[in-house]
Amino acid sequence: MVNQLYFWMAAAVYAVVVLYLAWLGYKRTRCNADYMLAGRDIHPVILGLSYAATFISTSAIVGFGGYAAKLGLGIIWLVMLNVLVGVLIAFIVYGKPTRRIGKRLGALTFPDLLGKVFKSDFMQYATGLIIMVGMPLYSSAVLIGGGRFIEEVLDVPYLWAIIGLTAITAAYVVFGGLVAVMYTDALQGSLMIFGMSAIMIVTLSLVGGFDGFQSLTDMSHLVPAGLASTGMTGWTSFPELGSATWYTLVTTIIMGVGIGVLAQPQLAVRFMTAKDGKSLNRAIPVGVISILITTGVAYTMGALTNVYFYQHFGKISTEMTGNVDSIVPLFINTAMPEWLVVMFVLVLLAAAMSTMSSLFHVMGTAAGHDIWVHLRKAKFFPTKLSGSDEDASKLKVNKAATFVMIAASLGLAFVMPGDIIARATAMFMGLCAAAFLPAYTVAVFSKNPSRLGAIASLLTGSVAWAVWTVFVHKAESSVLKVSELLTGSPSALGFPWTVVDSLCIALPLSIAALIIGTMIERRKAPTATEA
Amino acid sequence: MFGIDDPWILLGYALCFISTAFGIVYGILKWNEEVD
Repeated sequence: MVNQLYFWMAAAVYAVVVLYLAWLGYKRTRCNADYMLAGRDIHPVILGLSYAATFISTSAIVGFGGYAAKLGLGIIWLVMLNVLVGVLIAFIVYGKPTRRIGKRLGALTFPDLLGKVFKSDFMQYATGLIIMVGMPLYSSAVLIGGGRFIEEVLDVPYLWAIIGLTAITAAYVVFGGLVAVMYTDALQGSLMIFGMSAIMIVTLSLVGGFDGFQSLTDMSHLVPAGLASTGMTGWTSFPELGSATWYTLVTTIIMGVGIGVLAQPQLAVRFMTAKDGKSLNRAIPVGVISILITTGVAYTMGALTNVYFYQHFGKISTEMTGNVDSIVPLFINTAMPEWLVVMFVLVLLAAAMSTMSSLFHVMGTAAGHDIWVHLRKAKFFPTKLSGSDEDASKLKVNKAATFVMIAASLGLAFVMPGDIIARATAMFMGLCAAAFLPAYTVAVFSKNPSRLGAIASLLTGSVAWAVWTVFVHKAESSVLKVSELLTGSPSALGFPWTVVDSLCIALPLSIAALIIGTMIERRKAPTATEA
Repeated sequence: MFGIDDPWILLGYALCFISTAFGIVYGILKWNEEVD
């Protein structure tokens, strides 16, 4: 159990610094563009740290760390994709054109960017709507991760833990906008790098240094029968190719999150905060180091918890606690020195708050900017409620919408089941990739982007993802029970389709729809589109 | 190496460090690049 006195002293210092940075953000938010995009003039180091801190949440540390304890070190490929795709390709390939086009078109949000590139109001509000419906799934998962951890370590009731965590984060997001979010992200990202580095060193010392990996290899006979029968071969080897465990690890955990990260609205908007292309280049070293340390440590430590628990309790990690999401907190609480437990609680709070703040901000601006601007101009909308075009009015609407979306996330956190952090994260990232990635790619690279292609891709990707999730992919369909109700079986298809993630089906269909839509549009009006 | 025999796991770790090193070198080399 954490030393309460040490923790509250450290937490008080942390809270004061966060509030000071939030106040700085509030002071520097003078207009709507400041609130939405931090004035397009953010420092590269802050950008790199903020990107990593937003990217890495309690889902990565507790959720995927727990998965590493269950399924082993194969998840290291997710770290590789997080660095290669999540930072290098994201910044070098997507980031620069996103910043340039966003500035040229005056886009303030990710849906706004798609709407303006494709000259389509539908693209803007459909993207905004998908964010408003899908993103609470992710923000609530992050909130649950933070809340469960506070409950376990600090003995604070879960209800108060998630209300407190939400209230503190909400305060600086609603009032300080993206400037406050990115300043506090930078502090939280630094804390995560320092804390996770210390945890890696202590974990290795607990399991006998690098010999710990040999001990883990020697434990392969302890793989639970249920997992061994579905392809797991050990904690330091990859699952059997084509087995159910292999499909789960590769299609959901590694691909879903590794590729899904490219079309994350809360990360894409970061590129639009940079002053110029140079700033994006300078943010890359900070980004790659931050991501390597935070995720690399979380997953390696996760797998090594098996060695520690087996040496001290004669049990593997999943036998110590039935809930995958509890493995990492239990390990920290049981094995780490007091000062590091305090440090880890702060790291987790930082990881949860930095991701939640960005998600709250994106959901709020999707509701307040992307949806509201269309709703208020609709004929059926009462003029009394529609407000003015003045900038101050928009800023007020964005703050109010952010508050509403935060309340929705908190409500969802009460009804979502436990043990869901990693899966809900992978679900949201899969949805983003299927719905947005093809259209976003065309938006930043095509000189002649097709509106019909983009709309077809967005609709096909999101519908295919939803159908596959509800009717085929067993991990979700068996929980949602819609398939069982309609077809009498938890999954409408048989193996291996039941373990192939929705992303692997919906993304190719989304790309096909984009190509077909583009061809139809060009055939109809060759002169207009080829001009 | 380090008690890990599976080449896929070792390759995964190697690619993590190579990607990170590339990111650091790229950022330094392009530190003052004006072209967007």
